[in-house]
Amino acid sequence: MKKAVAVALITTFLVVTGPAQSQNAAPSETRTEAFAELPYWPGYWVSEQYANTTIGGFAAPRAAAGAPLQRLNGFDAPWNEEGRRRQAEAARTRGGRKAMGWGYPMMMDAATPLQFMITPEETMIVNAYGEVRHIYTDGRPMPAAEDMWPTVWGTSIGRWEGDTLVVETVQVQMPYTYFHGAPTLSEEARYVERMRMDGGRLVVDFTIEDPVTLTEPWEVTINQVREDAFDRMVQMDFSNDRTGQENGINTIEPPEEPGGL
Amino acid sequence: MKFKVACASAFAFALAAGGAQAHHSFAMFDMTKEVTVSGTVKQFQWTNPHAYIQVVAKDSSGKDIEWSLEMGAPMYLYARGWRPSSLKAGMPISATVNPLRNGKPGGVVRDVTGADGKPIGTNR
Repeated sequence: MKKAVAVALITTFLVVTGPAQSQNAAPSETRTEAFAELPYWPGYWVSEQYANTTIGGFAAPRAAAGAPLQRLNGFDAPWNEEGRRRQAEAARTRGGRKAMGWGYPMMMDAATPLQFMITPEETMIVNAYGEVRHIYTDGRPMPAAEDMWPTVWGTSIGRWEGDTLVVETVQVQMPYTYFHGAPTLSEEARYVERMRMDGGRLVVDFTIEDPVTLTEPWEVTINQVREDAFDRMVQMDFSNDRTGQENGINTIEPPEEPGGL
Repeated sequence: MKFKVACASAFAFALAAGGAQAHHSFAMFDMTKEVTVSGTVKQFQWTNPHAYIQVVAKDSSGKDIEWSLEMGAPMYLYARGWRPSSLKAGMPISATVNPLRNGKPGGVVRDVTGADGKPIGTNR
């Protein structure tokens, strides 16, 4: 009898309070309306640069007449003296380096599909390496300076302007450290993205400011295109980078033994 | 089973030059050459950021040589009809690759065919 009462009390408590996350949830009707107003970006997206990648990892050749696609690798960013120094150092040390994943911002310009999960409170962007961006759109401000927590994916706050998701991201640990093909921006960089559908493309306009490495805001547009051959997101860790270097030339390192089959 | 070096192919170079690099530069591979590696699968690594096929093939003197054949990421293989179970140890295959520039037995995969001569997956 005591046990039954205890269970009833606990049940009542949970029903009344709910899990912590839903305590501040909007009334369901309001939330349903908010949901209905949001865009829906289903499917699996890759940077247009990597559309139709083959089994060898080669992206399909682009028509010679097509406009060159912009990239986030930083080769044409408006670097200041410190930025140029970092770029030169990156070029000197890039060969044979292993990566740990894409990180931000490179996961937005990568040969790894993205999925966009949009809710009124948050948009999550996940990729097939298990890298996740949490973009809060519930009206909260950017965390205070003392609450900042630098990561390779940064801290993001967003808002909807019609069908455009505007995202501000800060506290991104130096992208080049995580991925050798990333721009050599500092942790003081501030990234603003404007994401919107344009026909069949998901267009992401970046404006990147970095007082440490850039002379002026760096503007880049990355188009995401759907890869219809993916039928679901399958995430696996980034565990087998066999890129190595021998006598100044990159090579494939031998496999670890034993393993695999 | 032997491997052979195909003639340098202007077509292959043009195809490769027009594409984008994935997780790393393709400069480590000689895109002007195509090599056919015919041998037996030792291991199929279905891993990020690249899948790899370890193949044992005989060289011109009959000695067993283990090749490391690099592929794209598993999601792309999946999208082209490949599965983790597509290759098993002991399976005979023939792979067309652009070889490593440093002469080591390795390369980046262009196509793979099974013992029946049919391509595995859609390949391109």
